[in-house]
Amino acid sequence: MIVKEIIERIEGEAELDFTYKNGIIENVKIKFPHFRGMEHIIEGKSAMDALVITPRVCGICGHAHLIAATRAMEDLYKNSSNDIEITKKASDIREITLNCEIIQNHIKWFYFVMYPLIRSIQKGSQEFISLKNKKFFEAQKAVVQISKIIALFGGQWPHTSYALPGGVMCDPTYVEIVQALSFLDEVYGFFEKNIFSDGVEAFLSCSNSELISKDGDISLFVKNAYEQSYEKIGRSYDRFIVFGENSLFKSGKVLTTIVYPVKTKYVTEKTQTFTYSKNVYYKDKFYETGPLARQMLLKQPLVREFHRKLKDSAITRIVARVAETALLLQKTRDLLKCLDIDAPSYIRPKKNIHKISGSGIGVVEAARGSLIHKIEIKEGLVKKYEIITPTQWNLGNGTKKCPGVAQKAMIGLKDKKLAEFVFRSFDICSVCTTH
Amino acid sequence: MHSPTAQKAKIIWLQGVTCNGNTHSFLNYEGFERFFQRYDLLYHPLFDTELGINDLSKFEENFDFLILEGAVTGNEEFKRGKTSFAKLFEKLAKKARYILAAGSCASYGGVFKEYDPENITGIVFDKESKRGIFKEYENKTVNIPGCPLHPEWLITVLDMLSIGKMPHLDEYLRPKELYAYLAHDGCIRNEYFEWKIDVKDFGYKEGCLYYEHGCRGPMTHASCNKILWNSVSSKTMAGMPCIGCTEPDFPKTELFETKKYMSIPAELPFGIPKRAYLTVTGITKAFKIDRLEKRLIDDSKRDN
Repeated sequence: MIVKEIIERIEGEAELDFTYKNGIIENVKIKFPHFRGMEHIIEGKSAMDALVITPRVCGICGHAHLIAATRAMEDLYKNSSNDIEITKKASDIREITLNCEIIQNHIKWFYFVMYPLIRSIQKGSQEFISLKNKKFFEAQKAVVQISKIIALFGGQWPHTSYALPGGVMCDPTYVEIVQALSFLDEVYGFFEKNIFSDGVEAFLSCSNSELISKDGDISLFVKNAYEQSYEKIGRSYDRFIVFGENSLFKSGKVLTTIVYPVKTKYVTEKTQTFTYSKNVYYKDKFYETGPLARQMLLKQPLVREFHRKLKDSAITRIVARVAETALLLQKTRDLLKCLDIDAPSYIRPKKNIHKISGSGIGVVEAARGSLIHKIEIKEGLVKKYEIITPTQWNLGNGTKKCPGVAQKAMIGLKDKKLAEFVFRSFDICSVCTTH
Repeated sequence: MHSPTAQKAKIIWLQGVTCNGNTHSFLNYEGFERFFQRYDLLYHPLFDTELGINDLSKFEENFDFLILEGAVTGNEEFKRGKTSFAKLFEKLAKKARYILAAGSCASYGGVFKEYDPENITGIVFDKESKRGIFKEYENKTVNIPGCPLHPEWLITVLDMLSIGKMPHLDEYLRPKELYAYLAHDGCIRNEYFEWKIDVKDFGYKEGCLYYEHGCRGPMTHASCNKILWNSVSSKTMAGMPCIGCTEPDFPKTELFETKKYMSIPAELPFGIPKRAYLTVTGITKAFKIDRLEKRLIDDSKRDN
């Protein structure tokens, strides 16, 4: 029998069609019902318009789309043997603003998407309404602070287009730097008060048992999972992939904890018949992308310990997202403190893009994993634009024999609520998935 | 003022064809907790609200505000829960006291209109013309465009209507209290505009972005430099040209360069006759103001 579930309270809407056999989920189809045709909207326009159009793919991670579009055009310059360079200052500022976008995403996911669900599957839990809960408002305050940092450099968040081939448009002074650092301090305080009682640094160096012995919501989540014996659910292929790089993230794929290099040329997309999202494969295989994949590559000790004990379970995925939040807070603070504001923000490419034909690929790590933009232009006009989003990697639909990453993680569960918990551990974004 | 005991105004926040950007802009509002003390958000797609998406099609009560984020579409296949979006919107529109178009998509069709121009419009407007699918609801609709809108614009309008003050609407149903200003008003680069000194290039804090870099601030109705974004900045303050996102013709193309005829910008500041523009700029160009030619902080650095 097939049971259809509409999944609400995520970015957009998804439908899960569960097939049960003897009370166990035998199969599940993941459907995203809405398609907006973003790639088609860009085609025929001037290449630079991609800087304005692509952020509108997604309200929560649009900034990653801006950076991916910018990088795709910079790659296009290189491929067509045209000079293009950006200063370390410009690349650092881009990294700061993108880090902040990822941090705000993770806080929203933790408190708006996971927290209510986890509270409701706690033993003896009361009906949980987040709009009446102090946590919800404290998380929103932290989100406000972190978004301000993006606005200091980009003018606003969401939907700034302040990065362009050759650098960034802003010219910050020490005023913006110290303001940004003070907003960041507030988010550090929020982390310590709510997520982990010993704070950011301690979280990154703690062990599984220390994590459980402390206070804070991540400790509560993990304790709760162990108490009710669902700490191991949500396992999938245990295969990870990362394409984007910056001063923190490294690219590669991880198979049985061994790291191999990757090339975007082996990435393929395939349309599906019953949903607008396309499957995406690396050498014909499904891979998980996102914070857990990134932490596996970075060999973050706490995440690695969880992985040794629980493999790629939903709880490991959740811990990885929190660890990434902590790492990015640290990294962003360092970048702000070391930013060389005297260097140029922007170096105008010698050749105007209107005089160039060619193609390029831009890869960036967005909140949910690797984001790939491919652009092909003829004398500055877009002939073809392709976007492959992180959620496509994680939420593809495979076959019964060879299910997609999130499908595999849900198959075999008895309880619909736990299946939803596993599904949400991937941090769903339906607007990105179908674009 | 609302006293805490007063009846809370009821809001339903519906999404059409959207990127969710207005929801995330709303999440930057600094008075969030107070907002929930004054308003009862019956339904929102992201938050844990009293109603779920499938309760909406059965919802029969009158309520105060229907907020729409995203464009409307007549495509019957576009569903919200089990109901087509258009049917659900119409049902709720009848019950709502006011309809607020939150953002440029809900106001005019926006970015997503371009993929399916036949089916997608704003509520009342289809770009500049009053041909939106639900134009019959014009008398209870207020447009609050922007891509995204600023959260304070939305909450200001909600607050005004809640205390019985109807905003003065312009020809696109935008509250003049917010949209009679131009994005240009209050821009910290205004002195450079007056003396016709454009930025040397992107990435400079000195200079105006209108003459060479495509800034639409002088032609765009918005309070961006009066009510700052994320309380700290604005595009033009940071160094990005205004892209005119509150206007019905958004998104235009070729956004980062100024189109010109005979070296005069193709689009002049809103309401300024060409003769006046040429006279004034002719005079200002005749002067070289040393102070404005210099770097603000350290003139010895970085002259690339």
